[in-house]
Amino acid sequence: MLFNSLNFFIFLILIFFLYWFVTNKSLKLQNLLLLVSSYYFYACWDWRFLFLLAFSTGLDFYTGLKIANAPQKQQKKMWLWISIGINLGFLGFFKYYNFFINSFADAMAQLGMHIDPFTLSVILPVGISFYTFHGLSYVIDIYYDRIKPETNFIAYSVFVSFFPLLVAGPIERATHLLPQVKKQRHFNYLQAVDGLRQILWGLFKKVVIADNCAEHANTIFNNYTDYSGSSLFLGALFFTFQIYGDFSGYSDIALGTARLFGIELLKNFSFPYFSRDIAEFWRRWHISLSNWFRDYLYIPLGGSKGGKGMQVRNTFIIFIVSGFWHGANWTFIFWGALNAVYFLPLLLLDKNRSNMGVAAEGRFLPNLRELWGISTTFILTVLAWIFFRAESLTKAFAYIEEIFSKSFFQMPAISANKGELISLALVAFFMLIEWLGREKKYAIEKLGFSWPKPLRWSFYALLIFTLGMYMQTNETPFIYFQF
Amino acid sequence: MRKFLKAILLFIPLSIAIYILMVIIIGNLNIGTLQKNLKYFVGAYGHTNTRIKEVRKNKAVDILFVGSSHAYRGFDTRLFEQGGYHCFNLGSNRQSPIQTELLLARYLNKLNPKVLVYEVCPIAFSTDGVESTCDIISNDVVDFGALKMAIKQNNIKIYNTLIYSYYRQLLHRDANFTEQIVKDDDTYISGGFVEKKIKYYTQEKIEGNNKAALNDLQKESFEAIVAMTKAYGIKLLLIQSPVTKATFNAYVNNDYFDHKMQQYGTYYNFNKMIELNDSLDFFDGHHLNQNGVVKFNKAIIEKVLPN
Repeated sequence: MLFNSLNFFIFLILIFFLYWFVTNKSLKLQNLLLLVSSYYFYACWDWRFLFLLAFSTGLDFYTGLKIANAPQKQQKKMWLWISIGINLGFLGFFKYYNFFINSFADAMAQLGMHIDPFTLSVILPVGISFYTFHGLSYVIDIYYDRIKPETNFIAYSVFVSFFPLLVAGPIERATHLLPQVKKQRHFNYLQAVDGLRQILWGLFKKVVIADNCAEHANTIFNNYTDYSGSSLFLGALFFTFQIYGDFSGYSDIALGTARLFGIELLKNFSFPYFSRDIAEFWRRWHISLSNWFRDYLYIPLGGSKGGKGMQVRNTFIIFIVSGFWHGANWTFIFWGALNAVYFLPLLLLDKNRSNMGVAAEGRFLPNLRELWGISTTFILTVLAWIFFRAESLTKAFAYIEEIFSKSFFQMPAISANKGELISLALVAFFMLIEWLGREKKYAIEKLGFSWPKPLRWSFYALLIFTLGMYMQTNETPFIYFQF
Repeated sequence: MRKFLKAILLFIPLSIAIYILMVIIIGNLNIGTLQKNLKYFVGAYGHTNTRIKEVRKNKAVDILFVGSSHAYRGFDTRLFEQGGYHCFNLGSNRQSPIQTELLLARYLNKLNPKVLVYEVCPIAFSTDGVESTCDIISNDVVDFGALKMAIKQNNIKIYNTLIYSYYRQLLHRDANFTEQIVKDDDTYISGGFVEKKIKYYTQEKIEGNNKAALNDLQKESFEAIVAMTKAYGIKLLLIQSPVTKATFNAYVNNDYFDHKMQQYGTYYNFNKMIELNDSLDFFDGHHLNQNGVVKFNKAIIEKVLPN
């Protein structure tokens, strides 16, 4: 069941009414409803993996209690490693088994030894990377005494499997979400309206921006040898907006949906394409994952302590692991490493925290320095996305080589129906609205609040019309579901 | 909560009104690139507009032909008239069972044929039928049947086209529209057939791994059509028109499709019944030229209709 499908909206309306009209008197019933609906939502993808989700939930709940109750540090550590080992074991098997076995065979072939790799046709359970990280953060936080273990299994299960975040995040923390799950929720008009507004903006990003850009990006990336450098750059631009519209659109729908149930989720995106340097970009892109790696990998590795050498090593580790988290392919690893390279000058010059606010804060236009920073960061990001999108490193390098050839100065290819121009116009409109709303939680959060209500509502209605007129007509899954 | 529900109830009609207004504006601007999900095809490919106008005036026939372009380009009504059969060809562009069901519901009673010849090709059964529905909605009346068909397919392109076509129908915007009888190499022949000025076909390479499949919605409509013909006591002949050998062989499960069709009634697959030349009897991989049409229709008159 996709967020951009009719089935999801029917499901959402049904659960919303049951939640606020039938189970509203009892927190226990509300949580039970959220749990059952979340499991139903997940079963719509593939019911067989419900057992894996339930097992992972039960494992972390149990090991969390064991860690907290263990009298000695040694025992606590043992339970922690049992949880980490099993969780990462499942993740490794489902997501990385074939990658490792094929890479091993390739490495052996380089040494002149030919082995037939025993690959399995493994189906990747939807959302495994996300709910595994939920569970891991929970047990690690208990181990370090940051939180007390949860004793209510239903509440804990809702924390792991709450349907808006179940399949593609944001990656929640027990410290943030569990207290909300355990507290009685009351319907709040402003929160619910805000949720609907964010859902609308998320849908616009997904079905209008991402899906239209995907159509052109796919055509160009799949036939990249037929295109000039300028067209390839256009293809990379389309993918840049596709992935942003897709993933941040998903996050907006998730956050908005959760808000309809009186729950606030962690912010996942904060206008990353207006970043003035790559460090700022990574504070604004997939925030919940970046923070997860910072707290559970970078800091335990020593973080910023221990001199520049250690910082550089740790930075490379988290970027490469982050790349690998996205998928079992060398392209993702290279993409992560390339971002670490981008990050390096800022780190060495101690400038990685020089842009902490919002670009052009309190002004409409950025100054020249900001404009330069935003443009260069954006172009670096576009080039890095080529590795993320390409099927192999060889293809990615060939793609980039053509961009940096003389053919970059040719007119880019535009199809007869000029669909690219419409998509670019939609992207321009989208980025304008994003720029206007860059100081808010999401672009249209306060847009038009000074206008008369009918005018503001008409703007929302126009967005709905844009969905209907420019959406792709076949349902397309969100990119991040594969991770 | 009451305030929330009240706001929703006010917002829904406002957004519907703005949506309809914007569809009409975009439709009237008539700039193809702006109309991504609006497919208003009045007088477009396939002469559907002329055919629908003619069928409204037509009286009872002996044979009614339905189906996709294979039908309106494959059954030459003049040849059947010469053979003594009064007939009409109600084929339309990419017509699939979903649209055939609607057209028969509208015109079967009026035409009251003795025989319904249904051209069944595998593509028509696997397609989503969106383009064809937009074609029918644009060129025929928008009524409850059209709305039912739109809901059945549940596609935004169809809804947008339905809104725009209904607006044009209400304001009689196409009342004076007359379609050209001759368009490029195509000539509309009274009775619904479209004759292609003879062209010859140079075989192109076709990938040979297509699979015929029956889409659930198409199957449901097809079964409704079969039931309708039974209810009216009309003889149903299912005919698969010949295509070039390469096109036919590109399907890896032709026998499966034949078997499926045989379950529904009297079925003839002319790809296996007559010998045609791919270059001389076709103008593309799917359609017969007039040489091929003559051979094909003669074979139907001689081999099928007497039974």
